[in-house]
Amino acid sequence: MAVCVAVIGKDNSPLYIGGIGNDSGSDNELSRQWLVHTALDALEERLTTTGNGAAGANANAARTDMRDLYLGLLYSTDTHKIYGYVTNTRIKLVLVTHSTSPSGSNIRDAEVRAALRRLHALYADAVCNPFHLPGDPINSQKFDKQVKNLMLNNV
Amino acid sequence: MRSSVSYILSHAPGESVMSHPDYAQHAQHHACLLVLVKGIGGMLKNFNKLWERIQKVNNIKVTDSSGQVRDIWVRYVRDYPVENNDWGDFQTHRRLLGLITLSKFTNQVELNEVCRVHESLKVKYSNTLYDSRAFMFGPVSNMKKPEQEPETYSYEEEKVSKEGSSLGDKYSLPSEQADSLSSSESFPRSTSSSASFPVQEENFTTPSNFKTHAMFYGENDPVPDLEQNVADLINSLFWVVESKRLERSREKLEKVSLLLAPFEKKDFVGLDMESRNNKKRCMGRVTKNLADLTLQSGLVAESLSLYHNSAEILKSVNDWLWLAAAKEGLCAASAILLYPNLRNPTPLQRNASLQESSPNKTKPLSLFQPNIDPFRKYKATSSPLRSSKNSSPINPPSELTPSSSDSIETSSRQSETDNADSESIASSSDIEYQSQKSFYVSDHSSIPRQPPSQINNQYLLNGEEIAEKYRKAIIHYSKYQNAGIIETEACFKAARIAVEQNNSLHASSFLQNVIFINLTLSEQEKIQRFDTLAELYKEIGFLRKAAFCQRLAATRQVSPNNPNPDWQRCYYLMLHSFPGHRLSLDPNYVIQHQVGWPALQIQLLQELVVAARRMGHPALATRHMTFLLQTMWPHLSRQEHRDLAIQLQALSAQCEGGPVPLVLETGEVIPPANLTHVPHCSWFSPRPLPPPRAPTLVKCKTQTGPFIFTPIHFGSLERKTKKDEGRMEYLWVEDDICEVQMKLTNPLPFELKVSNMRLLTSGVVFESIPETIILPPDSPTTVNLHGTPKEVGELQILGYSTHTLGVKSNCRLKNMPMPNKFPASFTIEVIPSLPTITIETTVAPSGSVSMSSLENIGSTTNISLHNGESTECTMKITNTSNVPIEYLDIAIQSNMDSQLQSKVFQFSNEEIQAQLPIPPNETATVVMKLYGEADFLDLGGVGGENLFPNSLTSNYPSRVGSPVPNAQTSLPTQSSNPQTSLSSGLMVNRTSGSFRSTNSHTTSWSAPISVMPPSRGRQIETQVLIRYSGGAGKELHCRQSSLQINLELLPSVSITHWDVLPAEIPTQLYLVLDVTNLTSEEMEFHYAPSKHILIESKESCRVPVPLDRCPFSATPPKQLDDDTIDSKSTTTGTSTNSLELMCSEHITNNIDLRWHLQHSGIGGRASVRGITLSQAMMDIVRMSPLNWEVSVNKRVIAPQQELTCAAGECVSLGVCVRNHLPRALRRLCLSVQLYQDYNNGALSYRLDNRVAAAGNNKVVLPTLAESAKAYHECTVVFLTPGEYKIDIQCSTTEPVLEDTAILKETDHQSLIQPCAGEVSHVWRFIPPVAISVTD
Repeated sequence: MAVCVAVIGKDNSPLYIGGIGNDSGSDNELSRQWLVHTALDALEERLTTTGNGAAGANANAARTDMRDLYLGLLYSTDTHKIYGYVTNTRIKLVLVTHSTSPSGSNIRDAEVRAALRRLHALYADAVCNPFHLPGDPINSQKFDKQVKNLMLNNV
Repeated sequence: MRSSVSYILSHAPGESVMSHPDYAQHAQHHACLLVLVKGIGGMLKNFNKLWERIQKVNNIKVTDSSGQVRDIWVRYVRDYPVENNDWGDFQTHRRLLGLITLSKFTNQVELNEVCRVHESLKVKYSNTLYDSRAFMFGPVSNMKKPEQEPETYSYEEEKVSKEGSSLGDKYSLPSEQADSLSSSESFPRSTSSSASFPVQEENFTTPSNFKTHAMFYGENDPVPDLEQNVADLINSLFWVVESKRLERSREKLEKVSLLLAPFEKKDFVGLDMESRNNKKRCMGRVTKNLADLTLQSGLVAESLSLYHNSAEILKSVNDWLWLAAAKEGLCAASAILLYPNLRNPTPLQRNASLQESSPNKTKPLSLFQPNIDPFRKYKATSSPLRSSKNSSPINPPSELTPSSSDSIETSSRQSETDNADSESIASSSDIEYQSQKSFYVSDHSSIPRQPPSQINNQYLLNGEEIAEKYRKAIIHYSKYQNAGIIETEACFKAARIAVEQNNSLHASSFLQNVIFINLTLSEQEKIQRFDTLAELYKEIGFLRKAAFCQRLAATRQVSPNNPNPDWQRCYYLMLHSFPGHRLSLDPNYVIQHQVGWPALQIQLLQELVVAARRMGHPALATRHMTFLLQTMWPHLSRQEHRDLAIQLQALSAQCEGGPVPLVLETGEVIPPANLTHVPHCSWFSPRPLPPPRAPTLVKCKTQTGPFIFTPIHFGSLERKTKKDEGRMEYLWVEDDICEVQMKLTNPLPFELKVSNMRLLTSGVVFESIPETIILPPDSPTTVNLHGTPKEVGELQILGYSTHTLGVKSNCRLKNMPMPNKFPASFTIEVIPSLPTITIETTVAPSGSVSMSSLENIGSTTNISLHNGESTECTMKITNTSNVPIEYLDIAIQSNMDSQLQSKVFQFSNEEIQAQLPIPPNETATVVMKLYGEADFLDLGGVGGENLFPNSLTSNYPSRVGSPVPNAQTSLPTQSSNPQTSLSSGLMVNRTSGSFRSTNSHTTSWSAPISVMPPSRGRQIETQVLIRYSGGAGKELHCRQSSLQINLELLPSVSITHWDVLPAEIPTQLYLVLDVTNLTSEEMEFHYAPSKHILIESKESCRVPVPLDRCPFSATPPKQLDDDTIDSKSTTTGTSTNSLELMCSEHITNNIDLRWHLQHSGIGGRASVRGITLSQAMMDIVRMSPLNWEVSVNKRVIAPQQELTCAAGECVSLGVCVRNHLPRALRRLCLSVQLYQDYNNGALSYRLDNRVAAAGNNKVVLPTLAESAKAYHECTVVFLTPGEYKIDIQCSTTEPVLEDTAILKETDHQSLIQPCAGEVSHVWRFIPPVAISVTD
């Protein structure tokens, strides 16, 4: 079950942070922001190293294009797991889940991957709005609603 | 990384759990000898210096018995918990082998105490300690070594046993070293021989139980042999370790006892120690122990195989704890070989033990110099291997530009080359390192380094394998709860290796693992854990993680669980987490680079404020709160604005915030934070001086071209204007109050008091006047700030300062928040001071208007004058400045044309100049005469058919013969074209004014008054411009004051009609005027020296003014020429005009009309300037060129003489004409005509049956020479009685029709012929001769 979803711009400033859950205790907005914020380090490091992984110089460009946008688990804490996803325009999508789902089953990687892909699609829809300036925080209500939906249903 | 089967072999928390993690451990410390350095007794002044010197001796080279050179490394710690010593069997580098004490004493008692402490320390670590040194610093320098007992060690039994068991080994040791071990009596020969211990003044003696090798110095001695002594200690330690190693290596594997980790002791109780499994376990553990010793004694390569072997053995028996230790050892040994620069001394940070880690130790924040990129710095201080990372892992704000794929590529390439080069870099750093170390090696023979072939050990792990092995080791460790500390340390060590490998992800995963290790730690140790985590995260560029850990550490510092909260450290931890939050201490930097997560930044800042406050540093709290409000303003809601502002007010009540940098105890500087949002400034501009005080150029700027305005703009050519944005066009004056206008808005929902607002300037000295304002919420308020420049030069206005919410702020324009883009500064030129004046005006005679103008702007004087009245206006100019007025110039601008103006206003410039200079506070008086100049002639109805509307004849029947053209046929005057003459005359009068006005640049009125209809009152607006200057700048600039004079001209008299009548005497004439009194009072009108008349209000009167006729001589001959010769030409307009002008001028000059209002006592003059005259009038006005002498019956008649005769009587009429012209007249036609005047305007010329005439009534004189006389006589008989008149006239004709024959022959010419149509001028005998004929 996703706890928080964040869209982060290429200058690492937050574009959108959406979370569900009560706003008390450790689950509040601020702690979610801390989680996502600290995940950025690992995310960026991951980005630079995946770029490095390509062996040949000429294959490099092709690899960057083709590379999987999904970065996998960035890090985990006692309570949460943080997954990352980077679009080709360096917009970072971060998804935070509880480390153990209430049902006890572990969250599968493929589910997260699918959720992040959907989130990417939602983001693309949101920025297609001609009145949206790229780099500005997203405050579309529709986007918010859809993201909340995504968090509740799919993961 | 955690083992899935956690704690399988673990027990409940054991008694001997190692509970003090050493977070500072590195992998290379596995190969180090551990030495405790302790200061005891009084605090040594130079302890830190000595400590540093000792730390530098961390590597010595010893030649062993086989001639091989051993590299021995030492790790110095300042504190070491005994419990950790217990793990010495598990990992030998945890054993404390040596002890160095640095102690200070001043007397015997203290010396005893120091010795006691030293001994007790020895006892404390007695299990492991091999050797010790005591450096004693006494009160005097060069102390003699006191008497001392030989040193003994408590581990003697061990030594004895060792000596006993391995005597043979001992013999292989160099004798010198053996000596040093057995007896320290002769101990350091080098020291005792080299260092001299002079005689001691006071004899201190060490207590008998003090058996340490001690060195004595004065407290301030340089201690030259410190390094030597330490090296000796290490030397001795090495030999012990070496002996231990040899001893271990020769043990029979079958017989070895089981080595135990402290918590394992209970595990093996009752187990069958003889089982094969246990045997192997023992073997494996001993091998591992041997490997540790081998590594410590400098044989790294050999240790590799030992570690490997032990790992193999231990793996087979599932001894995971020791297997993990073996693997870790293998990793450590490999890392030491692969990354020799890990061992390079970077002293304080690598080798400093954790216990002394205080805030002082931490790196200074680079944030305080915002020009250096703060997020970049952390990578800079790293080993050459890591230097390439500078570009890749984090995107510093400057690199946030979209070069995504590019940067990846380049960084990837870089790291590739790095990997390739690592070998060569390592070797090069080796060389460097050797040269550094040469000092310590100098004692020993210089030996080549280990041959490179040794590196190609089969067991040597490469970088990837090290990480992998470490990972496994940590997983194994994690199975034992009691090994938590070991695991934690292993994580840190692995992370440090990963850092060295430039593999941030590995490092971060190792660090992440630390979090999961569940340790029962003291709060302090937890904090240290986070601190170290933060430190390492910083090293791999994970600034956010580091910041997160620092913040956690900070909150731990003050958590309720913490028995003694330390707000200060909390504060510093928070402060140092700034870079991770993309915050800088400089508010401007933060505002300009709006990156980071506002929500988190706000949270951090709020916590920081609390920490600062609780720390007891209210100034800091105020500063940070200001910073929070200033930088996070756009991200805060209105409610938050309000709350924070109120909090800030509360904080600043304790300590006021000021725009000065705060310096922390650590030397960090907190730059000032200025509130530019509260109040918000939306408009800022310096104002020019108000017009009366504004300086103007004394000389007008010469125009550069004929064009004042051009609509064409060349955008590309207008770079100049861009360049000096903020440069003002106007000038300010020294010592004069200047003004800056700004518009402020209070964004807070309560009333805001802003006090002490001043201007911030640079350049010349400027005295700003503080201003206090109270701003209501949300309504823009205009505020003016004042100040006085005190010097001449350029003044830059940089911004303004405020004091609001208890915080003083310097709001600089360049740092203003974005939406309003102000120039960085406004530059204004200040010129030398100029005088100021006040003007006081008094209107003298009437005294009715007296107006004092203090602030000489817009002062208005109202004066009303009747037309023709004159008065005096006195202007008192007072110099109110300290500068004398040396230049004064008065000019008048009005809505009149300049000619009229000069008549209305008259003043003497010389008089003004004579009063200069005007010293300060003195007054000069300027008298200005005012005259109610007006045109008294009422030309109201000019135009149309009525050619002479004002002439009396049109309305009044005249008593005198009038030239009214109602008998056109008989009036030759029509040829003189009166229409032309009149209209042209008027034209000149009318147009002259407006024409001049276009010339005059001083007049700014669009329609200047030039012709003033006398019947209505007029308003004249006049500005008296007073330009004055003085002081140093008088050559260039002056000031200009203007004085408004509203002059109201009231109508007095007007002349509505006029005519001229011949007087009784031919040399005189009467100007008959219809004078109207336009005032409301009775008026006395003087029109001749002795004649006056009273005119009632609004009444009109006709007055005859006697005048001399306009003398002929006054006319220039040229005009006469025109008059006579060219009289027929059509261009007579101008000539007639000039003639008329002459006549009218004559009249104007000779007439003296005065009026006097009886009641109010006002008097004035009137004039008939601009009077227009018809041709007929002019004939009267002018002296006739012909002198008439008319005689009746031979008697010359006098003017106005009544003549009578009887009907039938023969009257002889003689006419004598004399030419007064300076030349001859030609073809004169002299005619005598009789007529009857019915006195009703009708004239009858048909007198055929009433009069009989004898003789020619018309003669033509071909020429009349100058001054010549012509006489003609005829006889008239009146047949019937009645009133008769005789019109005698003389006309001249055009010479074109010259008919000399006729003229010559005929004296009796026909009446009409010669004259008809060609008459160009007629002179009449005025008045006509009147004869009354009686019966």
